[in-house]
Amino acid sequence: MYGVSQNIKNTANIILKILVIAIFAFPFLWVISVSLQTDAEVNTFPATIIPKTPQFNNYVRAWQAGPFLTYFKNSVVIIVAIITIQMLIMIPAAYAFAMYDLKLKNILFSLVLIAFMVPTQVTFVPVYLMMGEWGLLRTLWPQILPFMTNAFGIFLLRQYFMQVPEELIEAARLDNASELKIVYKLMIPMAKPALATIILFSFVSHWNEYFWPLIMTNTTDVRPLTVGIAALKSTEGFVNWNTIMAGNMFLIAPILIVYVFCSRFIIKAFSYSGIK
Amino acid sequence: MAKIEFRNVTKAFDKNVVIKDLNLEIEDGSFTVLVGPSGCGKTTLLRMIAGIGPQTSGQVLIDGVDVSNVPPGKRKVAMVFQNYAIYPTMTVKENIEFGLKNNKVPKEQREKLINETASKVGLTEYLNRKPSQLSGGQRQRVALARAMVKNPSVFLMDEPLSNLDAKLRVQMRVELIELHNKLKTTFVYVTHDQVEAMSMADTIVLMNEGKIQQKASPEVMYKDPDNLFAARFIGSPPMNVCNLDHKGNKFGFRPERVDITDEYVNDTAFIMEGVVVTREMLGHETIYSVRNEEGITVTVKRLDDKWRMDQKVFVSVKDIKDIYFFGKDGQRIRENDNDYAYCINQLRGVKNEEN
Amino acid sequence: MRKIDKIKQYVFPYLLILPSMVGIGLFVVYPIIKVIILSFYSTNMINPAKTKYVGFENYIKMFNKVMFKKAMVNTSIYTLVMIVVVLALSLLLAVWLGQKSSRINYICQMAVFLPHIISIVSVALIFVQMMEPNFGLFNSILVALNLPTSRWLQSSDTALMSVLLVSIWKSVGYYTLIFIAALQSVPRDIYEAAELDNAGKFKTFYKITLPMISPQIFFVVIVLTIGSFKVIETIRLMTNGGPNNATTSLVFYIYREVFNNTDIGKGAAAGVVLMVIVGIMTVLYFSSLSKRVHYR
Repeated sequence: MYGVSQNIKNTANIILKILVIAIFAFPFLWVISVSLQTDAEVNTFPATIIPKTPQFNNYVRAWQAGPFLTYFKNSVVIIVAIITIQMLIMIPAAYAFAMYDLKLKNILFSLVLIAFMVPTQVTFVPVYLMMGEWGLLRTLWPQILPFMTNAFGIFLLRQYFMQVPEELIEAARLDNASELKIVYKLMIPMAKPALATIILFSFVSHWNEYFWPLIMTNTTDVRPLTVGIAALKSTEGFVNWNTIMAGNMFLIAPILIVYVFCSRFIIKAFSYSGIK
Repeated sequence: MAKIEFRNVTKAFDKNVVIKDLNLEIEDGSFTVLVGPSGCGKTTLLRMIAGIGPQTSGQVLIDGVDVSNVPPGKRKVAMVFQNYAIYPTMTVKENIEFGLKNNKVPKEQREKLINETASKVGLTEYLNRKPSQLSGGQRQRVALARAMVKNPSVFLMDEPLSNLDAKLRVQMRVELIELHNKLKTTFVYVTHDQVEAMSMADTIVLMNEGKIQQKASPEVMYKDPDNLFAARFIGSPPMNVCNLDHKGNKFGFRPERVDITDEYVNDTAFIMEGVVVTREMLGHETIYSVRNEEGITVTVKRLDDKWRMDQKVFVSVKDIKDIYFFGKDGQRIRENDNDYAYCINQLRGVKNEEN
Repeated sequence: MRKIDKIKQYVFPYLLILPSMVGIGLFVVYPIIKVIILSFYSTNMINPAKTKYVGFENYIKMFNKVMFKKAMVNTSIYTLVMIVVVLALSLLLAVWLGQKSSRINYICQMAVFLPHIISIVSVALIFVQMMEPNFGLFNSILVALNLPTSRWLQSSDTALMSVLLVSIWKSVGYYTLIFIAALQSVPRDIYEAAELDNAGKFKTFYKITLPMISPQIFFVVIVLTIGSFKVIETIRLMTNGGPNNATTSLVFYIYREVFNNTDIGKGAAAGVVLMVIVGIMTVLYFSSLSKRVHYR
């Protein structure tokens, strides 16, 4: 029952989809291309699409253009610290909201809601002043502490905890398990998908964080990778795009690798974030 | 009102062939029930009539016209889905109206039809409600009304009662039968419940693994099954089936045709001595199972409940006409078949062996 | 002993919540209050003693400033375009890519979503380079196709649109995924019933599909609005507000007032404006949520 016209439609459909893939993927290929071009190639018009000989030394130049090891280390330290602190804080909080009937529950929970909706663009000025008053501006703390409460995490985790069947918990209690053990051995394993999603979101958003560290860092030794790469553009009067793009790859590569390997999980996690 | 025909119909899902070269005629105006276990292909056939799950090859004809290239919306066919599939974002009225609007029925006529149909199913006060505000039974009526209002030539129903509670189910069964009597449209009804099939159909089409096992009226299905599958599917508890010989032939008899006695009885077609191992007293009837020394169990359904557990009894079938014979291939061996005499002989041998 | 136990039992859950509340108190509640207070003061960073209460002066001055008005206009245009274009595009892509789960559909989804997960820093740098009027890729291609070139980010006429282009490119994927999930949650038999009701493709889309995913559409509009009003990073990285304030957004205005002009009072006032806008959107969203709860 498939006529010729159906085949034409199918082919057109596929060609269009390849076009779409190209539109969204091409700029990343372009980064690679530019990062491997010579100074001359980068500055000619019309632009060179494929470099003649790949200039891998651009990457060396980029790495040497700034204290990238420091930047990288900062980013890693910040992420690990944020995620660790968030886990320690949000798991008990979510557990409490899910399991206990507190008098002040509604007020406290609406605070969590507010925390979730209020953007950092509103809070950054007072927080900046506060960090200054506490003398923390030369440390990494301003990029870590303000994110200690992961409101989204509390939401999602609470949801998951509430879905653990009552009978399971009662059975555990009958087996003389302490409260801590229940959390540890029962509830957290059951909430693994939620935790994975929360860690994923936290990782992505804080690894890519630019505005906040921009505000909170005055010195290069506490800058994360994002700010460091962005600074590449304004360091000299004359921009060497090939070096900049090589540096850009430092920022892109880690996420890209994670994405390629975990795409199914990542896509699923983000798809369902709208259905809260 | 339309006759439906399947001609050499095959349905495959990718490499999986679920129905192969099936032929079937559904009479105009009948209440035909497609019944069988899960996966037998009954819903697949239904969806072919509707056009929402078209056949891979073969023809489907409605009223003599090949509808293979006719889109579902233009076949004059209406369907009630298992989960009702009523539009959650529209009111009851809009749900019923939707098809009419699409078919460009003028407003006045639409209003009339909707109000008529709504009153027929008892939904008049609910016309402005949304499905989320209705009970399960009410939603089902909306699905029904939506189908009825189109005045279709064929009514298709895919297990419409399975999501209702038992009481409502019985009530709706009666209403559907009355509806059929009134409209006299061809009804094609799918269910896995043989009781539903027996009570509602004038024609039962029994299916298994994509093949038609038997097509007959409920009475014929019960009294004269074509094969072992039909014999065991229809009737509850299922027919007792025992081995006749070592060649794979079998014989069977229905639990309701079995007598229980304390002593041996002469002149029976079949008799066995055993012990009562279970007894289910259901109020109006009692179901026993009696087991002999070799472990053969016979299920008996009786109106009296005087037999007790562990009691030594004889179970017997008096009339040879209540015994059904089946060949190695599961096909029924009837009186006029060649092998019938052989079977009778074998049975006598069995009887003698037992005693 | 029992009384202590009872108190312990009562206090325990609050202890569990305490750390998170400390975080919220310090970094959300306190800043919100402080911003509001700051907006009523004229803060002198160099000589704190000279800080004085000025009431609504900051607001009045701000609302009169051309710069602020330009920022609001820019942000509003930006938001409007984002909502319309991203909503339409992501819906279209979702319908196109979400029907069947084929290989090419999945790769397409992967590609479309990729920009969302990459840092805005990377994306901005790439596009700044591609949009470079003299040596950039875009103009090279336009010239090759014999089409007129553009000044892209360097002309006040085209700068905002150029930034929008990048924002749209980066965010479409996320909303596409959300809509794909939404579309897949519509039960298949509803579409079959619509087929039997003789509904054509477009009719089915408008009267059945769209209403059924309207909660998600609403969600997307709200999130898009809030997100667009917050825009700062893209601006800072691509145009630094220019040329000639053509791309100065509300938050960029705040940033500049506070860090370049050290006018914390005005920055705070603008921050309050942002807060009010976000607040209204949030309230809108949650009030409609409670109304739509009884949907299925």
